[in-house]
Amino acid sequence: MTPLQDASTKPPKYPAELEASMILPKQRASPASSLASLPYRRSNPSLQKLFQSTASISGSRASSGTATPTASVVPGSVFSPGARQNGTGTPNSLPPGVSDEYRSLIQRAFVPHVAVVADTETEDLIRGKGLEGGLLQLLRPFGEHVPGKVTIRDSVGAGRSWEDFGVRFVGANDGLGIPPAPAKSSGLRISTDSQRGGGRVSSSSIRPRRVGGDVAQIEDLVGRHLQYSEFNAHDPMPDYFDQMEAPAQADATSSPFYALFLKRLLSGIPLVPHETFAHPVASVIAVSSSNADAIEELRRLYARQTQGDLRMPQWVDNQYLRYYVLVHDEEKDDIAKSNAIFDQMKRHFGLHCHLLRLKRQQCIPSDDDAVRLPTCEWMSASEELAEIQRRETADDITDPAPYLPDSDITGIRTFIRELVAQSIIPHMERQTAQWNEQVLARRRGVAGRFMSISKRWTPFGGSRSSSSSSTSSNSNYDSLQGFYRPDAPEALMRKLADYSFMLRDYKLALSTYDILRSDFTNDKAWLHAAGALEMASLSALMTSGPLPTKARTENVDQWIEQAWYSYTNRQGTPTPYYGLRTLATSVELLRLRGSSAADDAARWAARILDTGLVGPVGNALFTERVSACYAVRMGIGSMNWGSRRRKAALWSVLAASTWFQLSKSLQAEKCLDAALRLYSSHQISNLQEHDAARSLPFPQMQTFIDELRQQIINLRLEHRGGYSSEDDGEGTEVEQSIVEEATETLDASPRLHRKSLIGAAAPPVDMGPLSPTLERTEQEPDDLFEGA
Amino acid sequence: MSYNFTIFSPTDTPLFTHEFGTSRSGGDGIPRFTTAERSLNPFILHSSLDIVEEVQWGPSTTSGNAPMYLKHIDKYQNSYISCWITAANVRFLLLTRPRDEALGLGSGGAGSQRGSLAGGRAGLGGGNVYSPTNPATEEAVKNFFVDVYEAWVKTVMNPFFDVGKGDVVRSPVFRTRVAAAAKKYL
Repeated sequence: MTPLQDASTKPPKYPAELEASMILPKQRASPASSLASLPYRRSNPSLQKLFQSTASISGSRASSGTATPTASVVPGSVFSPGARQNGTGTPNSLPPGVSDEYRSLIQRAFVPHVAVVADTETEDLIRGKGLEGGLLQLLRPFGEHVPGKVTIRDSVGAGRSWEDFGVRFVGANDGLGIPPAPAKSSGLRISTDSQRGGGRVSSSSIRPRRVGGDVAQIEDLVGRHLQYSEFNAHDPMPDYFDQMEAPAQADATSSPFYALFLKRLLSGIPLVPHETFAHPVASVIAVSSSNADAIEELRRLYARQTQGDLRMPQWVDNQYLRYYVLVHDEEKDDIAKSNAIFDQMKRHFGLHCHLLRLKRQQCIPSDDDAVRLPTCEWMSASEELAEIQRRETADDITDPAPYLPDSDITGIRTFIRELVAQSIIPHMERQTAQWNEQVLARRRGVAGRFMSISKRWTPFGGSRSSSSSSTSSNSNYDSLQGFYRPDAPEALMRKLADYSFMLRDYKLALSTYDILRSDFTNDKAWLHAAGALEMASLSALMTSGPLPTKARTENVDQWIEQAWYSYTNRQGTPTPYYGLRTLATSVELLRLRGSSAADDAARWAARILDTGLVGPVGNALFTERVSACYAVRMGIGSMNWGSRRRKAALWSVLAASTWFQLSKSLQAEKCLDAALRLYSSHQISNLQEHDAARSLPFPQMQTFIDELRQQIINLRLEHRGGYSSEDDGEGTEVEQSIVEEATETLDASPRLHRKSLIGAAAPPVDMGPLSPTLERTEQEPDDLFEGA
Repeated sequence: MSYNFTIFSPTDTPLFTHEFGTSRSGGDGIPRFTTAERSLNPFILHSSLDIVEEVQWGPSTTSGNAPMYLKHIDKYQNSYISCWITAANVRFLLLTRPRDEALGLGSGGAGSQRGSLAGGRAGLGGGNVYSPTNPATEEAVKNFFVDVYEAWVKTVMNPFFDVGKGDVVRSPVFRTRVAAAAKKYL
């Protein structure tokens, strides 16, 4: 849980109703132009907080992993390509130094979605509190993490408690507000266009959407974060310094930017027919107590959801759980009256009701019990981009985050806890059990098998069951519109599988996806088949038990391959976003299994690069990732036989070079250091003494690396050049190694002082021995550079 | 086609490097690596030592005897690595970079936009594609290695030459022999 929780102190990043004129940042033509247009706003703390996410992610990583250092994963025959009986490690027994972070990230990415609808009085009430987004904005950050443990029973009745369960609150029209088809085509095609240098399509000027799935925007966002780190890293800002120093020693292969990339890739899952993760599992319908006839209003909202303007597309099952909330205004309304209405509600609608008490007045940060609204972690890339843009252009340096009274926050937390633990999860468990019995068991049984065979083979099938759909005769698949009706057994099974995946019952999910993939393939529903294949491989890899290598190479690899192929090549409109999602998640999960699975992970990561699913930034990130995949593979014995150190080092060098071409000196430097560390740790100590300075086997390699290092240093100096006029003494880093030695002993925690230097609000405390050298982090590279 | 032939000592020190082009089908024997490729070649060769070790210690694919010729073992982008391993654990690596046409790539290729180091995309099918596992190719590389091995054995018999210390091969005779073998078979 830890990794992302510390982000909760950040301001919210809601792009509250932005004006239509808000233009998202365009893709910059060249680093030079972007450099010119980048606003230098070191004095804007609210902006800094936004970018903090990349820092905070990495900061906590070092502590999150390595729970169970079981070296026993490695022995066996690590370096036996033929036998390959390795790589069966479970994600629970991680090799030392590998963090479980991405697995839990994936786990937390696929959670139930809850639609939020509220009447106008409620929205007015909340808007009065300073939250432009209304009830949705208020609930969203809290839903991401349900307080306390949540116990889920799986299909065999065994309960298991999870700390990190969450739900996503979505607006009734999110992902729908724009009809999904154009959204998908404009969003998803960009990535391929920009790959070919075709540039950005108009999507950069649309309003920020809460739906993700746009690779180009994710890249844009990560690019912004990178740029921020690039130009602010030498500032005495504590976050980035902590970040650059700490993980460099702990886990050299982790990158906060990659974590951000993956997270944004998995946020805002689009609402599509071929998977039901974004389909609402439940809906919160809220009315205010000041409403004259609350019950009638609830009915009206319900009717709008079933027939009216809030109706989901026809391929979404409309029979989801409704949860009725009465919002009580503490200041204006009478609690006795609200209680009476609430009792009435309970009589009418049963158990799924809640009374939420909120205060009307707006809270300011200086109030006694004011608590800042936590940041939304899982916002889509376009939202975060809009937020960055907004803060960059905003002049005020105050933190725009709304504050809420403590009692409100407690009330909301209780509400969400009750909603999830007492309504949503039991509802999903019930549905799963029911479908399991009625649909899956029937399909699995003898009759079901016979049916599915006869459906395929009988020559009369076409004429007999033509009523089901006009074109493709004997299947439930509507090939013209490309979906299954929500009450078709296939659609129900897909829902069953998705529900059990969200409830983390991966065994049931796997077996269901396995049936589905053959059914979908028979129906030639390629997108559905790809979805089932993707999730089948994902749930196979998510299972905590060991995965035999045979099963992995024979099934999972095949599934990933087919899913990727179907997503990208098979249909009329390729969906590279899903292809990328398949590969990226598989890479991470395979990597966690260590040894030979890590080889496969590297192979899939290289596939991402080869097929150009990502743009320049993603390219660099994934090159780095290949190196990380190889690096987790450890050898045995004194010679480290079977390790992939040299491969990892190669890819690190490549990543450094790629980063350099994107003129990201910090990242390039980090990769280069990682590469050198890999090379030197591999070197067997009997190198000649006179070669001590040269740790690389080839003189050409050394030359290449030295040149790259020099170029990177130049680039960094160039970037800092913009500042050297204000902060004097910064341009002369290279020849400071003498001063360095003198100052290093001065204080053990220079960062404390740094922190006090920034921020307009910080009180002027004792600054300590302030010297430019304290701000340097890269001593090792410079030493090396000078030694070379 | 361009080749880079490198001998690695058991401690991963390169002892000998020779670059050459094909002499077959009208080739002039001059290597045609681009600058980027040339600077990357040592990295690629070095990184495939990981795979060499894995193949070397892994179960034998041939029955009984462990072959010295490990055939094609690794590939990075458009570079293919073949390996011969001597009894003293000295590794001969041959990096083959087929011409773009032989990989089904157009001139220019997808690699140019990706930047110098990341290379182009891998050859995906096509008519007359270079295949490292083609029997004729394997045989030619094997013959080359056999000739080089013979010359190598004579070189290491020199009592003043110690592979273990990472002595670099400076003998011009050895270089001529390698060049002759390259011209003859590749």
